[in-house]
Amino acid sequence: MNSSLGNFKLSKFKLGSKSSESKNSVSKSFGSKNFGSKKKAKPKSEEESNQKLPQWMEKRFPETRQMTLDLKRIFVFLTGTSGALLIAIGLLFLMGVNFQSTLIYALSFWLLALIVISIFFTYRNLSGLTLRAVQASPCFAGEKAVFELEVSCPKQQKKSAIFIGWKNQDVATVNLHDNHTIHIKLSHSTKHRGRFKPEKLSIFTSYPLGLIKGWSYALLNMNSIVYPAPLLQESEDKGDSLDEEADQGMEIPRGTTDFSGIRDYQAGDSPRHIHWGAYAKTGKVQTKTFVDYASHDLWLDWDALSISGTEIKLSHLCAKVLQYHQEQQVYGLKIPGRTIQPASGEAHRNTCLTALALFGEGDHSDAQTQVSTDGIGS
Amino acid sequence: MFEKGFPQDKLITYSGMLWLLAAQIVVMLPLIFYLPIWLLPILIFSAVWRIRVMQGHNAQPGNLIKIIIGLLGLGALAASGVKVVSLDMMASLLMLGFAYKALEVIQRRDGMVVILTGFVLIGVLFLYNQSMLIALYGVLSMTVLTGALIAIQQSKSYAILPNLRLSSMMLLLCLPLMLLFFFFAPRFEPFWKVPQTSGHAKTGISDSMTPGDIAELSQSDDLAFSVKFEGKRPGQNELYWRGLVLQHFDGKTWTQSDIPNGKGIKIGNDRLSEKQVAESIVKRGDSVEYEVIYEKSGQPWLFALTPVLEVKGRAFLGGDFRIISYRDINEPKLLKLTSYPNSLREVELSDYDRDLALQLPENGNQKSRFLADQLMASSASNQEYINRVLDRFRQDQYFYTLRPPTLGSENSIDDFLIDSKRGFCAHYAGSFVFMMRAAGIPARVVTGYQGGKWNEQGQFLAVHQFDAHAWTEVWLEGQGWVRFDPTAMVAPSRIEQNLETAMESEGSFLEDNFLSMSKIKWLDGIREKIDSAQYAWRRHVLGYDKNAQQNFLKKMFGELSVQKIGLIVGGLFAGIILLWVMFLGLARKRETEAEEHQLYRRFCDLMAKKGVTRDISQTPETFRRFAMQELPDLAGEINHFSQAYSSVCYDPSIQSKHQSYIDDMKSLLKKLNR
Repeated sequence: MNSSLGNFKLSKFKLGSKSSESKNSVSKSFGSKNFGSKKKAKPKSEEESNQKLPQWMEKRFPETRQMTLDLKRIFVFLTGTSGALLIAIGLLFLMGVNFQSTLIYALSFWLLALIVISIFFTYRNLSGLTLRAVQASPCFAGEKAVFELEVSCPKQQKKSAIFIGWKNQDVATVNLHDNHTIHIKLSHSTKHRGRFKPEKLSIFTSYPLGLIKGWSYALLNMNSIVYPAPLLQESEDKGDSLDEEADQGMEIPRGTTDFSGIRDYQAGDSPRHIHWGAYAKTGKVQTKTFVDYASHDLWLDWDALSISGTEIKLSHLCAKVLQYHQEQQVYGLKIPGRTIQPASGEAHRNTCLTALALFGEGDHSDAQTQVSTDGIGS
Repeated sequence: MFEKGFPQDKLITYSGMLWLLAAQIVVMLPLIFYLPIWLLPILIFSAVWRIRVMQGHNAQPGNLIKIIIGLLGLGALAASGVKVVSLDMMASLLMLGFAYKALEVIQRRDGMVVILTGFVLIGVLFLYNQSMLIALYGVLSMTVLTGALIAIQQSKSYAILPNLRLSSMMLLLCLPLMLLFFFFAPRFEPFWKVPQTSGHAKTGISDSMTPGDIAELSQSDDLAFSVKFEGKRPGQNELYWRGLVLQHFDGKTWTQSDIPNGKGIKIGNDRLSEKQVAESIVKRGDSVEYEVIYEKSGQPWLFALTPVLEVKGRAFLGGDFRIISYRDINEPKLLKLTSYPNSLREVELSDYDRDLALQLPENGNQKSRFLADQLMASSASNQEYINRVLDRFRQDQYFYTLRPPTLGSENSIDDFLIDSKRGFCAHYAGSFVFMMRAAGIPARVVTGYQGGKWNEQGQFLAVHQFDAHAWTEVWLEGQGWVRFDPTAMVAPSRIEQNLETAMESEGSFLEDNFLSMSKIKWLDGIREKIDSAQYAWRRHVLGYDKNAQQNFLKKMFGELSVQKIGLIVGGLFAGIILLWVMFLGLARKRETEAEEHQLYRRFCDLMAKKGVTRDISQTPETFRRFAMQELPDLAGEINHFSQAYSSVCYDPSIQSKHQSYIDDMKSLLKKLNR
């Protein structure tokens, strides 16, 4: 419970300017833990539910990794079409009265009943739908973070035309007919580096008749690491490698490039390196040894940068990480509070980028960061 | 609103388009028979265009084409001569709009508009025809329209059958609620006068009679009305369903009198007060109680055994003892009537009425007048004179025929009575009244129906248009108006049995009506069943009006108060909702997972709490190894639990010990939870 409260504070609901106030009250009621006794009526309309999102919403839509839609979480209301149909029904009823036609009466009543039963069918289309956070891919600030969700429903059910997405972002259309579990990918635009946690997901359907809309929300516990936008500062470009010792590359033994000496044969030595000349002379099997020279370690050092501004520095370092990674260099990263030893490869790149992304975000342990990188924090 | 900023795909799928097209065709098909035929090619054109667009042969029509088609449609309407302010015009315009909208449907919104219009058009169809078959067709149209509504909501194309099944299921499930509304929703009198459809053209007996009119009617086997008797059914030859009284003769045509009487009342169609009824009728004999459902005729005339003394329903007693509807009958109309056929009517005849009943044109038909004088001179009394005239019909060479020769317009009575001697009931009735009046005996022509066909299955009497008949009433001193039917003298079988029997030798029964099923004898049994079903349909479904509603509710629930109705409706509504919830499986618990899976999920949740989260990609086996490695303290339990789970899931040999494994898993879970 506590951890979910903590996460909630981090999450960015679109509360607007008055958010601090309402957040406080939210926190209080969370602390007192007596919200269970307060029963809030179902919201009458979408607008209403948006404006006062807080208390009942939190209770019904706690931040979880997996959420199933049920009675508490599904809202239904008339659509514009059902309004138009109601007008048509009124027209038919008038016809029925003025022409005293029993059949037209029956027709208008049947259509009315159709609207009523639509409530149940639309509800059924959402009920039992389960959303589960699967994976979040990191991205650079300004790009789109991709979240992978698993959408499923009980085996005996079918779901049609359900739209899932964040407001003003991509929307996925879900149909569960033959498959009862599918994976969808949703993307969300990002602005700033750091740990990006999308706001609540909206789930919407008006199936089967379009007369009733049903909707719900899911606040899935998933976040994506947003790396700083890579932006190379030209003025710094030359100063990237520090304490350069061009001649004194470190020897890497058991290399293949330069000859360094001869020693006795050991099991496993390549026959190509056996000193056949010596063998012919002495009858003793000896091996020629070679060394490689590692290019000198590159250090990306925060303190060595002459540019100012945290974000600018981070963007620059990010660009350099990408550059070295591309050049398959061995590089290390030093930023205040964190030093990453030189290495190379995909994992190393991600570690560095993550460190840059989360710079200044405080005391997140490495382990947690690691989970967030390749999966989802739990 | 939610939809804003939430871009769903708004386009209709291919199968949605097909559904829409099918729905349009189904809805428009029956209406084509009632609306101007010129609409048909235009409707076909738009459908074909639509199909070609869907197949990619044509582009969406441009504005110019749309305008041209629109003008063509309106032009076709104008050319077909539909009245500007009429229901036909409204329906035709609605049809045109319905067809045109199809041309441009791409988005879901447009599809919705088409479907809603389709629903209204089903209602329009019911204005033209209310038969059981059309009602069934309406249900079919509803199903297809609902299916189309489903199809355009879908974001993928699916097969036809599941949609059809879903829409039928929805409509079927709606049925109880529809019936609840239907039985309990208040019924109103019409709010305003409405134009009628052309389907409501006047049919049946009209308010004038020229010999030949009724012969025409006799070619129709349409139902005029059906009668259900409360007690004993009178004999077939007593069934004179009296409708109109025709007093005025202009030498050719008999019409209702429109000469106002001294008190300024037009006789006949004006309402007779109860006092006037009591004054002019001497009640005699047994009553006949019966219930009549009149088919639509577009006219206000009603037909009953005369005199009617009690009317339940929307009708009144007219001046000459007939009953008249307040409005033209454009939908089946139910009345409960009580008649006293043996009563005496107007034993005292006013001078005004006597004058009306003696009116004849100044000139013409001199031979007949001469004949009347001759016969009268040789008769001792009026009664004897009447008998002599009737005897003449019986004994002379008169023929009852549906193929009478054409009569001249100058001396039509002479032509028939003296010369051709071949005619139908109208000829006999008209000439008989002429003979009476010529001899100074007050008499008048009465039109209506005679007889009817008894339906054993449904226990009701069906009176068809071919039962139309004309007879006469003669005023006799001390007896009032007495019915005489000269046709009975010539063709007794017409009265004793029916027209078909009377026309057997001539073979002219329904001879012009090639499509009539009534002539096919071996279908009689089936026909009786169908007629009986149709009677029930008219009586109980179409006839469910305000009165019927009150009676029905009273019968079902006793005396009703508002609270009681509220309780009943509320209870039934709750019941229906409950039914739906059960049927749709909404009350069922979500957890229909097998117990072992539930337990395993709890196990995973527990592990997650302890910091070991199962990734989606991990099988139970890999997760077991992973968890044992991460939590060495609990390795034993984890191992044991996972093994048990695998056994339950995959090892058929432990089937008999299933429960013990489950119990093991439960206890291990408890241990792990500690």
